[in-house]
Amino acid sequence: MLLSVRNLQTHLHLRRGVLRAVDGVSLDVAEGETLGLVGESGSGKTMTGLSLLRLLPKGSGRIAGGSISLDGRELTTLSESELVREIRGRRIAMIMQDPMTSLNPVFSIGDQVGNPLRNHDIARGTAVRAAVVDVLRRVRLPSPADRLDDHPHQFSGGQRQRIVAAMAIGCTPRLLIADEPTTALDVTIQVQIIGLLRQIQADTGAGIILITHDLGVAASLCHRIAVMYAGQIVETGPVRRIYRQPAHPYTRALLEAIPRLGAKRGRLAAIQGQPPSLIDPPTGCRFAPRCALRMDKCAEAPPEITLADGHRAACWKLADA
Amino acid sequence: MRARFFRGVPWLAILVLAAVLACAAGGEAILPHDPNDLDLGSAFLPPAWLDGGSLSSPLGADNLGRDILSRIMAGSRVSVIVAFYAILFSGGIGALAGMVCGYFGGRVDAALMRLIEIQQSIPAIALALILAAALEPGLTTVVVVIVLTYWAWYARIIRGEIMALKGRDYIAFARVAGVSTPVIFLRHLLPNIFNTLVVLATLQVGQVILFEASLSFLGLGIQQPDISWGLMLSDARQYITNAWWAITMPGIAIMLTCLSANVFGDWLRDRLDPQLRQL
Amino acid sequence: MNGARFLLRRLVQGLVSILGASLIIFVISRLSGDPVALLVPADAPASVIADIRTRFGLDLPLWRQYLIFLGNALTGDFGNSYRWQMPALRLILDRLPATVELAICGLIFSVAIAVPVGVLSAVHRGGWIDRLGRVFAMLGQAMPAFWVGLLLILVFAIRLNWLPAFGQGGVDHLILPSIALGWYPVAAQTRVVRSAMLDVLDSDHIRLARALGTPERLIVWKYALRNAAIPLLTMLGVYFAAMLGGAFVVETIFAWPGVGRTVVEAVFSRDFPVVQAGVLFTSILFVLSNLLVDLGYGLVDPRIRDAR
Repeated sequence: MLLSVRNLQTHLHLRRGVLRAVDGVSLDVAEGETLGLVGESGSGKTMTGLSLLRLLPKGSGRIAGGSISLDGRELTTLSESELVREIRGRRIAMIMQDPMTSLNPVFSIGDQVGNPLRNHDIARGTAVRAAVVDVLRRVRLPSPADRLDDHPHQFSGGQRQRIVAAMAIGCTPRLLIADEPTTALDVTIQVQIIGLLRQIQADTGAGIILITHDLGVAASLCHRIAVMYAGQIVETGPVRRIYRQPAHPYTRALLEAIPRLGAKRGRLAAIQGQPPSLIDPPTGCRFAPRCALRMDKCAEAPPEITLADGHRAACWKLADA
Repeated sequence: MRARFFRGVPWLAILVLAAVLACAAGGEAILPHDPNDLDLGSAFLPPAWLDGGSLSSPLGADNLGRDILSRIMAGSRVSVIVAFYAILFSGGIGALAGMVCGYFGGRVDAALMRLIEIQQSIPAIALALILAAALEPGLTTVVVVIVLTYWAWYARIIRGEIMALKGRDYIAFARVAGVSTPVIFLRHLLPNIFNTLVVLATLQVGQVILFEASLSFLGLGIQQPDISWGLMLSDARQYITNAWWAITMPGIAIMLTCLSANVFGDWLRDRLDPQLRQL
Repeated sequence: MNGARFLLRRLVQGLVSILGASLIIFVISRLSGDPVALLVPADAPASVIADIRTRFGLDLPLWRQYLIFLGNALTGDFGNSYRWQMPALRLILDRLPATVELAICGLIFSVAIAVPVGVLSAVHRGGWIDRLGRVFAMLGQAMPAFWVGLLLILVFAIRLNWLPAFGQGGVDHLILPSIALGWYPVAAQTRVVRSAMLDVLDSDHIRLARALGTPERLIVWKYALRNAAIPLLTMLGVYFAAMLGGAFVVETIFAWPGVGRTVVEAVFSRDFPVVQAGVLFTSILFVLSNLLVDLGYGLVDPRIRDAR
């Protein structure tokens, strides 16, 4: 297994108390596989991604427990300098939400795409330029050699996301974390970027974790889906099974919330209520207060039930069936 | 509400400012010595804690044997008077100009803004120099110079606030209802910019005191036999090798006063008008 | 807007400012009353006074006098210094390099303190350097430049005898006046750098650079600082101008043979041509420095460079 996360606990120490942003997450990503990490904003999916890089808010964030293993190497015990040198950008790369703000406005793209290559000794001196052109070509940026000295504002949104992708894949990382890579883009460019991620995966065999709130995007790109709610994974399984036979009530609600072409108006069901506070989360099932199928038992932590090969969900209803 | 307003009150700064005001108001009566009393016998008398110092002149004496503490206390009067008039007039003129510009806009606004731009192309101290060369140096000139330098600062900020206020419904209603322009200014605009004015005025105190001290130091401000902190430093400068205390003590008075005014101004700004924080 | 048009517009604005400044200087100079009184003895006969009046054009209406003043000023003629018996302009031009030298050194001093302190205050927000910086900023804003100068002389020239206190000479002569001049703006500059750094360090592109394993040293001093330097650079003109203003006081204390001290002395000897030439020249420098910065900061901010 390329990436193996077990019982990951990430805490943010805020003035109001300890916020359990990630509370016992376990997940696996195989080589060449794409895992979709799906959930509402605030469910802890971005925090999970940042935890894998150990890139938590300075001072307040820390990993309180669990293990992260990449190619058999434990990441939670590495020092900051080892992480900078050997992991971030080298083995695991992350690209962020907004291509418009993800590039430094005052540096040329040649410098920015070359930066990870220089830092990780992939290329040196005059060879950097050639390597940068090569990476930009791989992300299908038109005439890259002529544009190395251009600055980010001279590129369109889709082109910028390609440049961001080029920064991420320059050192051929084993794992690519893409945090809402398409949210800020319009639909045609979304399609292109999804195609680009697929192609990157085919070229390099990297594992991808796609963080998104958009089940549609996840469906088009992922092999497996993990649904997050309030800092925990409530259901995980192959993408087809999740869409055809969602087991957890929250997953079902999420799927129902997707607006479908031709669906009756007013069917766009929003889920009632708010997710619980993660500073003092309720014991038992965290979705219970909003769940239509709530029972007395839900006050206790639900067991994880295996429904089929690789399809698991944590819900008391499934235990009874 | 009341409790929150008084949270973090800079009591020390207020105490210093109160002391300065008391010295200025007290006049001759509260001074330990006549500040202009020459006593060549005690010229360069060191402060009390040094060898040869005397408790009757705790901060020592200057080249003519004048008591430094008394002179500092007497000098506070000039600082307070200059600050009062300079702030009154620069704030008044600046606020009026800013209100007119912001309210009427158009050509008046463009002309006044251009005037400010032109005036700001002359460094304040250079403007002070030609004014001082043209007029008699003295307290009035100092006030005129400071007013000329600072009115634009008020005008710019007040103009911005008025432009924002003008869009509000109640101002538009008042206009439509035929309320006369002076009444709109006094009843509707002025109360809304009052907090800003108070904050700007407090923040200006420290700068005015520094400016007066610099002008007097150059010999272009307060003249003998009047007493000002800047003038004391100008006198003491020639005797810098003989009496370090004559150079340091008035400077400390300036520093403490400005520091207290700035601390108080910052606090007031955070309480009354936090949007002005970038100043 | 294209480059040439932007340039032209700023040039015209600068020119208008300088013209306006010359008018203000002229009018104020005439506030002093009859300039003839300064040129002739008090008991001069009326015929002599009338003669001088016509000779200097003082019988003409004020606006024509201004035009003549302006015309002469454009050809570089501000009249002769009463005291030095040489053209006022030449006197000022002779002293100008010393002032510019001092102003640049003062600016270098202030920026050299403000940038590292501002950056470190932002990186270790709330840490000891941040707090210490804030205390110093409060103190700095409360100390007049001339007093700082006097204290520097007292400590470093008189007590320790390390550095010379007066006049122009080697590099050592520049140190104390530069510190005195650069002292005041340090606080404001530090604040500008600090808040710009805080903004930049919180931006997405810095987060991305971190996620891709950029060493913290490069993040702070290369990728973040160049962004954070933009607001400082845009204000450099203002700071340089402040240096020119401060030079009047600091030059006087350190007996620095620049424009500032010359003008201050000229004020005392009522040497109007020198005062006028000196102040107008300072204003021109003032406007020019703002203009140069406006044009130049496109070099650091590519977005603005291309927007023109």
